Order: sequence, then structure tokens, then C-alpha cells
Amino acid sequence: MNLERVIFGFFIVLALTLNFGFFIGEIDNPDHHSIVEFFFVVVVNLIATGLKLGDRSQIGAVLLATSLVADLQLIAAAIIWAVAAHVSEVGMIPSVMATIVSLAGGAMVANIISVTMLTSETLMLRR
Amino acid sequence: MRNSPKSSRITFIILRYMRRPVIVLITVYAASMLGWVLIPGQDAQGNPAHMSFFHAFYFLAYTVTTTGFGELPQTYTEAQRMWGIVSLYAGVIAWFYALGSIVRLVQNQEFQRSLAERRFVKEVSRLSEPFCIVCGFGNTGALLTRGLSDSGMTVVVVERNPERVQTLFLRDYRAQVTGLCADARIPEHLIEAGLLNPHCKAVVALTQQEEVNLKIAVTASLLNKDVLVMVQSTSEDFEEILATLGNNVHIIDPFQTYAKYLAAIIENPAIHSLNQWLAGTPGATLDQRTCPPKGKWILCGFGRMGQWIRKSLQSQGVATVVIESGPLAQDTQVDGLIPGRASQENLLKADIEHTSGIVAGTDSDSENLSILLNTRALNPDIFTLVRQNRYRNLEVFQAARADFIMVPSLVSARRILFLLVAPLLKTFFETLHGPTFLARDGGLNAAVDILSRTVGGTQPRLWTLDTTAPGALPRVMRDGKAIVLGDVLRDPEDRNRRLACLPLVMESGQEPVVMPALTTALRPGDRVLFCGTPHAVRLLEATLNNEYTLRYLITGVDEPRGYVMRWLTRKFAAQGTPA
Repeated sequence: MNLERVIFGFFIVLALTLNFGFFIGEIDNPDHHSIVEFFFVVVVNLIATGLKLGDRSQIGAVLLATSLVADLQLIAAAIIWAVAAHVSEVGMIPSVMATIVSLAGGAMVANIISVTMLTSETLMLRR
Repeated sequence: MRNSPKSSRITFIILRYMRRPVIVLITVYAASMLGWVLIPGQDAQGNPAHMSFFHAFYFLAYTVTTTGFGELPQTYTEAQRMWGIVSLYAGVIAWFYALGSIVRLVQNQEFQRSLAERRFVKEVSRLSEPFCIVCGFGNTGALLTRGLSDSGMTVVVVERNPERVQTLFLRDYRAQVTGLCADARIPEHLIEAGLLNPHCKAVVALTQQEEVNLKIAVTASLLNKDVLVMVQSTSEDFEEILATLGNNVHIIDPFQTYAKYLAAIIENPAIHSLNQWLAGTPGATLDQRTCPPKGKWILCGFGRMGQWIRKSLQSQGVATVVIESGPLAQDTQVDGLIPGRASQENLLKADIEHTSGIVAGTDSDSENLSILLNTRALNPDIFTLVRQNRYRNLEVFQAARADFIMVPSLVSARRILFLLVAPLLKTFFETLHGPTFLARDGGLNAAVDILSRTVGGTQPRLWTLDTTAPGALPRVMRDGKAIVLGDVLRDPEDRNRRLACLPLVMESGQEPVVMPALTTALRPGDRVLFCGTPHAVRLLEATLNNEYTLRYLITGVDEPRGYVMRWLTRKFAAQGTPA
């Protein structure tokens, strides 16, 4: 057992599970999507990205790319949330919520790819 | 601009073909337009009205091209209608003439050749990987091209016969193969094929005529000193000239190669199984032993092949009898020569019943086959070596079941392929023969034993490791870690096992080492020729592309990959060790 692999795998899988938890529910109903959960999704995703930095192998590069995609989508969602709630007078109306959740859904796809690659790389090692 | 003369030639051909049609078209258009403008017309109210140049051209645009778009500015007068008929027919005829000229231009062979040449030059100049130029796409050329592309080498073919170049495009190659139909004797064509390109590794001259091969070799070695030149040549006169060209020129003589090979097999039959196995002959395994006998041999045919084989056999102390129908080459004295064809009568005269081997080595395939059949009838137990001149007669010769079949084109192609793809293999075989290796480790048989235990099977893969090539190895070496051959050859799935792969030759500094021990250290600049099962070689290549796997194999520790984890590991390691 390798401690680095445990920590690495933990954060990557956690990023996906939290992301899924936030995503699930009626897409435009603000009651179904918790801001606290969203906050953790963003934080865990950023940590996962940080852990992936510096890996010079091919698979490491692609893992980093998927993580960056997820970050980009989540940060875009966060900006929309902040603007809707505080800057403009729109408020958290269903259309805004739908946009945020669909962006989080896109980030989830990137996280799924990440987890799949991590699993397949581990399976290929067979040791 | 290297290809500017070519493009100007194409422009010239286009101009020569299209000059007259274009002038005719312009004249017809101008005359028609002028007529339309000058002939007076009428507007709806009956006032005289002249057509403008723009309207005249517009009218011609849809009538002369027979589009038949029917917009009329106003009803035409009778005079205008007359002129309409004239301009329409004249214009249509002019267009047909122009189109006909375009068709003739496209069908022009000179034009097509120029276009193909330009396309070829462009393709070659875009090559960004090492490539070989093969001149002559006959049997040997085709076999060599196939072999090179199978080992991932790009090939540029120059061949004079357009039909053969066509077959080149119809085949399916694994690596990029381009071809030009041109005479390789002309230096310009060799330059077009990329002779001056820095990626050009070798020029191989394999045409039917030896003079052509000589000319290609001279051109190539004079124009590019760094390029490797391989020439097929069986004549001694040319070989003398070629030898003066320098170290980069290799002369490939299939008969000499084969004769030396035969001598080596007679000395130690294991050479044959090793060679067949390394060459990937289907079905060849390391434990097959075919032993050519050391008793008396009959040589049927005393041409280039017969003479070389006689020399080789004599060097092994084997007695020979020669049967030759033609006149002998000058200054050759042969004891016990039987003149005439290798008929049953002559074979009996050569005492075939008490002979242990026969070589059917004339330059006619039917003759060789009939010698083989005659021999079988007279002495079924004799060892037979038959020369197959034409590659397409393969099935007949296989059905005849000779002990050895010598195909000159195959011998040449295989030798060139090995020299290009695995240059260290030459060292391997030379050293296997040398006294130093024979003294060590029980010599060749021990080497074959190790190979058959570690790699075994059929069709192994050869792979040359270049420690300076980009990959994980130079990076790990830069860290100052000591790497031994055995580390690289560990199985990534289980560090304590080894891959089914062995180093054959290691070239480190001056002296190449054959079958180096697994404890030998790898240093920057070393080259190692590995031989292994295809799967093992794939794993080895993967290891050498992934520095984490490589580090794990060397140290047994899976090192952290990311910056954060590396920093944390260092921190904990620092805390763990007492100050």
C-alpha cells in the first residue's frame, strides 16, 4: 500500500462524489442544491488539481487536463452564483439555478473521466 | 527555393497548351461584345438605344456558356437577333475548343509526370523522421521496403519502371512509403528523393544493372558524406571502385554473404537456427538443427554463387566436384571439373551415390529444380541446397522440399535490413565467431541456450536502445542514479521477475560487448541491442518512456509524482530521521 496513492485517490473520488451530490435534484429548484455542498465541491476539486501538478507521465498530463476542465466549469458556476445573488437584482431564480447546475454537471463528467483513468491505470499496474 | 524549376516547368506546360485557346476566347468575346454595343437597338417606346459593355458581357455570360438564362433588357431588333446567332455559335465553339485543350493538358504525360514529381518533392521535404532511399523496386527492393516499414522506418522509393511504382502505391505499408518514377542515375532525382535531407539515413542501390548501382553509390557518397550507402554488387571490378568510396559504403553481395553463412553453419549448425530465429522466419525456433554435412559436395553451376560456395567449402576442408555447362571465367582452374549439364549421366560421373551434399546453383530456376529431382532419384539421402532466382517461384521450391533454399533477393534484403534496423547485430554475429567469445561461457551454444530459455518461441523482436534518445532514461540518468541492464529488464508487473528479453550487444565507448551481464551499468551514449518476445519488448519500451515506472524498477519504491506529495514526503522524511 502506498500512502500517496491513498490520498490521491481519496481526493479524486471525493471530488466526484461531492459533485454528484450537488448535481442531483431538480435542475432549477434552488432548494435542491446546497451552497455549502457547492463550496466543498469547488475546494476539493482545487485540492485534487494541486495534487496532480508535477506528474510528468502521459497519464498525469491528461489527469491534470480533466481536473482543469472541472475547475473551469465550477469557477464559472461560482461566478454566476455570486453575480446573481449579490451584484444584479435577479436573485436565485430557476433559470440561474439551472445554469449553475448544468455547469456543475459538466464538471462532473470531467471528474468521471478522472476517476476512470485513475482506476484503469491502477488496474494496468497489476502489482 | 529548391522546387522552383519544377513549378516553372508546370507553368510552362500549362501556358503552352492554353495560350491559343485563351487568345481565341478573348478575341471571340471581344468581337461579340463590340458587335452588341455597336448594333443599334430599340427600347419599349421605339427610341434607338445602344447596349452598354456591361449588358453585352452579361448577355454573353449566359448565352455563350449555354446556361440559357432568359432575362432580356428589351425586345431585340432583327439585326441584334442576327448578331445573337453569330456570337452564340462562335462563343460556344471557342469554349469547346478551350475545354478540349484543358482535357488534352490533363492527359499529357509530361504534365502528369511533372505534377507527380512536384507532389513527391513536397512529400519528401515534409519528412521529419529518419528515412531510407531505396533505388530499384524489384524483388529485393520490395522485400526490403516491406521489412523496413514493418520496423517503422519511412522509405522513399525511386524506380524507373512506372508499373512497379504503381504496385508500390497499391500496397499497404505500416510506415510511410512514397515513390517516384524516375531514373536514379540522374543526381537531381536522388536529391529530390531527399538525399540532402538531414533525416536521410541511408541510400540503397538495388537496381538490376550493376553500373546503375555503382553510379548511385558514387553520387550518394559524394553528395552526402554522412549517409550510409548500400550497394548490391556481385562483380569484383565494381567492388574495387566501391571500396575506394569510404567506410560509409557497404557492398551487398548475396552470393558471398550466403557462402560465408554456409561456412559458418558447417562449422556450427546453431548459427543457422539462431539466424533464422532472429530473422523471424515463420516457424523457426531455436532448437531446430539442420546440419550441412562435411563430406564431399557437388556444385552444379559455377557462376558467381558456385565460385563463392566452393571457396567457403574449401575453407572448411570440404572437397567439391564442379559440374558446369558454360565456359569458365578467365584465370579459373578447377580440378575435377565435369563439363556439361547436370544430367543424370553427369551426376553419376560425379559419383553422386557417395556424395553427401549438392548445390543446385545455376541462374535458371527450371534447371535447378530438375537437378534437384535428378539428385533425389539417384541419392535420396543427400543434403540439397537449391538456388531460387525468382521470388515468384516460391511455391514450387517449397513443394520440392530442399534442405536449404537460397533466394538471392531475400539474402540481400535481409542483410541490408539488419544493417539498417539493427546495426549491432553484425557485431553480434562477428563476435560469436571470434575466439574471445568462444573461450568465454561455452561460446555460441551457451548463448543459444540462454536465448531459448529466456526468450524462446518464434519470431522474436529486435530493438535497439539508444540512451541519448529522448525518453525517461536520460532524465533518470541525470539524477545520478546508477542504472544496470538488469534494472531496465525488470517486469513492471513484478519487480522481482525479469522480462523475456535479453541484451545481445552493448556498445559502450569503443569495444562492443556481446551478451553483456545484467549487472553492466548503463551510461549516457551507450547503445544496446535487445532481443525479446514482442510483448516483452513492448513492455520494455513502455518502461523506458515512463520515468516513474523506471524509477520504481530501479529502487523498488513508488515515488510520489505531484509537487505537493513530493514536498510532504520530504518533510516527513526529514522529521522521521533524528537530527
